Amino acid sequence: MYDFQEQIGFPILTALTFLPALGGLAILLMRGRPNLYKGVALAVTGVNFLLSLVMIGWFDRYSADMQFVEKVPWIESLGISYHMGVDGISVLLIMLTALLSLIIIPASWNYIKERELQFFAAFLFLETGMIGVFCARDLFLFYVFWEVMLIPMYFIIGVWGGPRRIYAAIKFFLFTFAGSLLMLVAIVAIAYLARANEFAAPVFDMDLLEQSVFSYQVQLLAFLAFFIAFAVKVPMWPLHTWLPDAHVEAPTAGSVILAGVMLKVGGYGMLRLCIPLFPDAVVVVAPWILVFSLIAIVYGALVSLVQKDLKKLVAYSSVSHMGFVTAGIFALNIVGIEGGIMVMFSHGLLTGALFLMVGFLYERLHTREIADMGGLAGPFPVMAGFLLFFTLASLGLPGLSGFVGEFLSLVGLFTYSKAMAAVASLGIILAAAYLLWMFQRVMFTGLRDEKWYKVPDYSLREIVSLAPLGFLAIWAGVYPNTFLQLIEPPATRLSEKMAPYMAEGGSAVERIFASLGGLF
Amino acid sequence: MGHDLLAIVPELMLVATGVVIMLIDPLLPTDGRRGLSWLGIFACITAALSTWLASGEEFTAFNNSIALDKYSVFFKILLIVVAAMAMLLSEKHLMLKKRLLGDYYALILFTTVGMIIMAESIDLITFFVGLELMALSTYLLAGFFRYEERSIEAALKYFLGGAFASNFLLFGMALLYGLAGSTNFKEIGDVVKLGPVPSGPLAIAVVLVLAGFAFKVSAVPFHNWAPDVYQGSPTPAAAFLSVGPKIAGFAAILKFFTMILGSQHDTWVPLMIALSIATMLVGSTMALLQRDLKRMLAFSSIGHVGYLLLAVVATGQSGRTLGMASILFYLAAYAFMNMGAFGILVFLENNRRGFKDSLDDMTGIGRRYPWAAALMALFMLSLTGVPPTAGFVAKFYLFSAVVNSGFAWLAVTGALFSLVSAFFYLRVIVYMYMREPEGEPGLALEGKSWDLNLGLGVAAAGVLLLGVLPSPILTSAQDAVVKLLGN
Repeated sequence: MYDFQEQIGFPILTALTFLPALGGLAILLMRGRPNLYKGVALAVTGVNFLLSLVMIGWFDRYSADMQFVEKVPWIESLGISYHMGVDGISVLLIMLTALLSLIIIPASWNYIKERELQFFAAFLFLETGMIGVFCARDLFLFYVFWEVMLIPMYFIIGVWGGPRRIYAAIKFFLFTFAGSLLMLVAIVAIAYLARANEFAAPVFDMDLLEQSVFSYQVQLLAFLAFFIAFAVKVPMWPLHTWLPDAHVEAPTAGSVILAGVMLKVGGYGMLRLCIPLFPDAVVVVAPWILVFSLIAIVYGALVSLVQKDLKKLVAYSSVSHMGFVTAGIFALNIVGIEGGIMVMFSHGLLTGALFLMVGFLYERLHTREIADMGGLAGPFPVMAGFLLFFTLASLGLPGLSGFVGEFLSLVGLFTYSKAMAAVASLGIILAAAYLLWMFQRVMFTGLRDEKWYKVPDYSLREIVSLAPLGFLAIWAGVYPNTFLQLIEPPATRLSEKMAPYMAEGGSAVERIFASLGGLF
Repeated sequence: MGHDLLAIVPELMLVATGVVIMLIDPLLPTDGRRGLSWLGIFACITAALSTWLASGEEFTAFNNSIALDKYSVFFKILLIVVAAMAMLLSEKHLMLKKRLLGDYYALILFTTVGMIIMAESIDLITFFVGLELMALSTYLLAGFFRYEERSIEAALKYFLGGAFASNFLLFGMALLYGLAGSTNFKEIGDVVKLGPVPSGPLAIAVVLVLAGFAFKVSAVPFHNWAPDVYQGSPTPAAAFLSVGPKIAGFAAILKFFTMILGSQHDTWVPLMIALSIATMLVGSTMALLQRDLKRMLAFSSIGHVGYLLLAVVATGQSGRTLGMASILFYLAAYAFMNMGAFGILVFLENNRRGFKDSLDDMTGIGRRYPWAAALMALFMLSLTGVPPTAGFVAKFYLFSAVVNSGFAWLAVTGALFSLVSAFFYLRVIVYMYMREPEGEPGLALEGKSWDLNLGLGVAAAGVLLLGVLPSPILTSAQDAVVKLLGN
């Protein structure tokens, strides 16, 4: 364990987490001065992104231990402390969060027309929640950040969303809250079961909980409670139905954060809590989760294929891509886990970019119907270039980030079961189909309306918003080691933790039936 | 004797202030009555301070009929704070309704004294005197707008139901006295524990006592008065009625079901579980159907009573401290968030012509009154149980107690009902922020009031403070119950 005092000298995780919230509070007091508060929002997210780079700079990438650890007692009688710490997985996702939070500020500079002040404040509070989730090392604290993340997003969809925003916002809230409440009961249950004796305070500290051993029954129930909460966020088939509604109604910036970070919180939770805390249950349930992941991969891709709305297409493609995340993670070997994390990172960059581009397109055409588009490469050559790049990256073109993650998670899955890997690879083929077909229908085939020649192509602001995402997508595709190095130690630790529990091989069908025995 | 009087100095202060207010009220011109609320608040502050300062000593007074311990100190201070908040919320509203009379404040003070006696008594007779003092004063508060039919209806309903409930309670207490030959809680508890006690009459006594309390805290199936009474009463009085009597009721329920009937835990637990689930079910499903916010808050408060009863279940042998302490903390959190939510309704009634407390009237509040809307959103989220608010810590602590006592499935049930409750609390936020108002906004009234703003500020501060730094209150809640269990 690395204390923050020795490592960097100031509580960098607290700074990263709460700086945005302070900025949000400050913004709320700047009524009537739009340029000032937009500037403040930009400055705060910018500083936060730089802080995240500083954190990576000082981070020891060869250690699987928690780093920059801060620990202060908070509610002592309940054994709750303010305990923050990060490992490679958190660091990568924090950097992604800070980057996307920075990018959406200029991207929504002119897009939001009313109640701008609250809009920017909401995003800053959201950033606090998201980074907090990635840093928390205490279950109570984790839950607090988990819920704090929910409220701003609820407002972002509900206040600044499209025509059916209220339905989408409530659906989003209730789905997530249902999962969270079950998780809350499970958190309490394991915290009290992990006590040394009846008079001791409950244990919420993740470090201590990871060393506790729970009975199989408890593990199974608690695992399911946690897993459902995370599966709603991911979202995993069949709990994904809130996602298309939320994405279609949310403003562009909301979609970017939702797809780019909030879905990852689900995968992160599985890595951080489900696997380390309940290894016995994980091994038994894993084949089923893999089956659901495969369904998500194929189903998401097939549904994407028939979408008429561009934004819905990207939303359903997320379901498919996130299937690779859960498939990789629950293959429970090091390659699969690394692959799952890389898919999360790359999906954050690419889908974030795709949602941004859908937003930019909508600002110009005032429609998202693919049928209304066509031949747009003529009036908007720069846009076409960017879209081609991110489409190719997203369908897994080697040399770009999408390929690395999906390849690794397929290899991981292959080690677990060849048949499953074969089914999952269908997803990549289908991804090529729906993405290329989409690109063709939007950018080529005859132009619908000559008036679009009068609409300007991407401005510098828009190019600057997309460029860093493209740059990272190339970096992660060409030299993924930079990122793999970060996640290797924690992934190794997770796979080593799981290794003793893994049964001998066998075909997928055998494994699934074998796990039935464990369930009942 | 001097010793006895010393024990009830705060109560004497409150009563004396109430009497003084009633005496000087007729002598004052209408404008001059504005200071009366501050007289009451000043009395509350001094009473709370003197309770606080004397909290070090623990003793019983008046021949073992009241106990001054950390338990009663906790409730005394909480109830006095609630009374002070109620007075802050009331002044402007009474003035606008042209009913600014000193009697109102006197009634709040008398109710408070009644509630305090309920919380600190350890004797059946004293307890009943406190209960009736509280009950009679609250009936009058409910009917305080005597020119409005609804207010009179509320008072009458509250009175009739309340009188029945008091009788149930009295019958139950008579049976307990008959069985034990004593009116002292601890002595009855010893007899019940060591026996032999005929189980039939004891069971009847338990049912009667439970029925009486169920009415007082508005638990199903004795809940039907609550929506009508809260809707009909003056809104600031409804704020007080929805919080104060529930706190006092639970203070007494805890004493009855631990000191007297603690040894019979296994017998009454099934009854309590059934009551709790029914209460949560009716509270949250009926709240879904309400368009009137006062009725919605009434049903939601019934739902909260359901959660509290859940924690009463958790006061069995394992983890008693936790179960009881979680109730104390929950009541404190509930006091701030519910007073706050009603307070916002008072604010809107004061400021907006034609505001009738319906959901539709909330459209556009987010734009028109950003601060009021933000606070209302805070209180709604706290009632839902979302961090970082008091409601979350309270629910978390309460579920911990329930899980810890081995009733994990009950905690899951409670969690499901809080999911349902999320729907109707969030709906208020939807109307305030996400719907566009139709037609002209209601005209503003001259309703500015620093008292009201201060009251709302106190409620909001309480909600946030208990949500972010709950340690001091958690610790004092734990300390409060340890001694009680030691008896």
